[in-house]
Amino acid sequence: MRETVIDAHNLSKIYDEKTIPVYALNKVHLHISRGEFTAIKGPSGSGKTTLLNMIGGLDIPSEGFVEINGTNITNLKGNELIDFRLNNIGFVFQSYNLIPVLTAKENIEFIMLLQKRPKKETDQRVLELLKQIGLEDKVNKRPRELSGGQQQRVAVARALAPKPQFILADEPTANLDSVSAEKLLDMMLKLNQEENMTFVFSTHDERVINRARRVITLEDGKIVSDTAPTPVTQEQTETK
Amino acid sequence: MLIKIASRNIWRSKKRSLIIITAVTIGLWAGIFMMAFYNGMIEQRVNTAITSELSHIQLHHPEFRKEYELKYHLPKGRKMLEFISKDSTTKAISGRIVIKGMIASASGSGGITINAVMPNEEQALTNLKGKIIKGNYFNPQKANEIILSDKLRKKLNLNLNKKAILTFQNKEGNLASGAFRITAIYKTVNTPYDDSNVFVKITDIDSLSGIPNEINEIAVLLKSSQILDESKKRLQQKFPKTEIQNWKEISPELGYTVAVGNQMVFIFMGIILLALAFGIVNTMMMAVLERTREIGMLLALGMNKIKIFMMIVLETFFLILAGCPFGILLAFASIGISQRTGIDFSEFSEVYSSFGYSSVIYPSLTANQFGNIMLLVVITALFSALFPAKRALKLNPAESLKK
Repeated sequence: MRETVIDAHNLSKIYDEKTIPVYALNKVHLHISRGEFTAIKGPSGSGKTTLLNMIGGLDIPSEGFVEINGTNITNLKGNELIDFRLNNIGFVFQSYNLIPVLTAKENIEFIMLLQKRPKKETDQRVLELLKQIGLEDKVNKRPRELSGGQQQRVAVARALAPKPQFILADEPTANLDSVSAEKLLDMMLKLNQEENMTFVFSTHDERVINRARRVITLEDGKIVSDTAPTPVTQEQTETK
Repeated sequence: MLIKIASRNIWRSKKRSLIIITAVTIGLWAGIFMMAFYNGMIEQRVNTAITSELSHIQLHHPEFRKEYELKYHLPKGRKMLEFISKDSTTKAISGRIVIKGMIASASGSGGITINAVMPNEEQALTNLKGKIIKGNYFNPQKANEIILSDKLRKKLNLNLNKKAILTFQNKEGNLASGAFRITAIYKTVNTPYDDSNVFVKITDIDSLSGIPNEINEIAVLLKSSQILDESKKRLQQKFPKTEIQNWKEISPELGYTVAVGNQMVFIFMGIILLALAFGIVNTMMMAVLERTREIGMLLALGMNKIKIFMMIVLETFFLILAGCPFGILLAFASIGISQRTGIDFSEFSEVYSSFGYSSVIYPSLTANQFGNIMLLVVITALFSALFPAKRALKLNPAESLKK
């Protein structure tokens, strides 16, 4: 049996609870195991980002709770929660993902420096990741000197650098052209296989959905379908 | 890492940062220069008072300053004078007979302080000769000479070689008077002082005062102001029955002027820095609001609130520090130049001299004052950083990332 990384119990997020309640999430149960490559899809307003925010400890559920590797993060507060995120969760956002005043290398090592990891270990890991994302020649470039696709690759490398429990990616390909999006997906899938890294995406990009091994569909804050995880196929890993 | 991010962040909006740096430069320059100007003005006033009017230390009979009666002279005053003059810390010393009296001419009369002085010693002590604008200093061969101010001369419609009558109570309380010929006219930067002080030779007053060969005041100019308290203490031990006062005690209003002046300067400086702080707070608030999403991202990634707070504080701090060298440089350059040339307010000399101030000001700044200014700047930087940093802490990562 595979180890459960994310365990969401009866998750609800209700806005305007006292007047006319609006359910952004409605009693969602979700279990994600280590090494999964999961896409959460659904139309706008279906609750994808809300669910991701709950799992990532960025938002507090109105009901229910989230356990990450057995830790109930819903009970964590303030800096305790921030520290938990720092040490356990990797984030890739849709846009404006990098710290604009830092170079590609500095952005990748950022989280490891916050974690106060030894310099040698950090340098080694950053170098390794830069090779994996194919941006060794862009080490000292700032985000504005990189293309959108390159920026997202750096963001993925930054999320991966400290080897978190899983990576949450909120519509990572939304602002990318198709070539950049495919490259990014290839890279993430490769990292998923090589490092057994768990990825959870929110997306309505068919390219991501087609590559995912598990697809969860949300509608009006509820899970309406959940395809079982499938083994990675040759087609999925193929670099386009 | 925080320092790196904060220092690079200040150059993200170059125009805005340059405006703030310019504001800091101008504010700091204005603050330092104003402090130096005010300090110079007060220092000059104090120096003038010490070197021309009061000296560092004065010795009197304990009852003398209550009624200024001649019976309260200094017994063995001349011996005390001799003793103190031999002290290695004494720069100049003179004995006087100071009498409250009247001066009269054919045109009018007025109350004055008659300073019966030892001409040579007085010259070394107060440079009376240097203040003469017309006529000659005391001639040892001539008797009954008087030096009065230009202001008094005009008031009494007198001129050189004319006679003025001095009247006062002698030791026994009887009226004594004498005619004195005007040998010189003096002028200082202190109109009230000029208005009320005349100088005669002590030898000319001896017989009239009823205390021949005595003195009722000893004025001491020290080699350094730093040893004022120590010297006073030593003299007090030596002459326990004599009232010994330093210049601040003799002229408390002058001491208050210094104290109030220092406070005023810091109040002005505070106002300048407060105005500056509001500008900085505004700029940094804008910077925080513009970067809501980015700060949200940092919080999401795991940068804790203390680090976010520190980042904004450091950013504000760097912004202010970037302006500091220019402000300090500009201030020192302008102080340096005006220390040589002086700032001439001759057009308002009447006003300045009516308060005892020179109309040409030479700004000066002590290391201590400069340190205080820098401390105020640091406090301003921290104060300015608090509000934007606090605003950044209130951000919710999930909400911020939506923006």
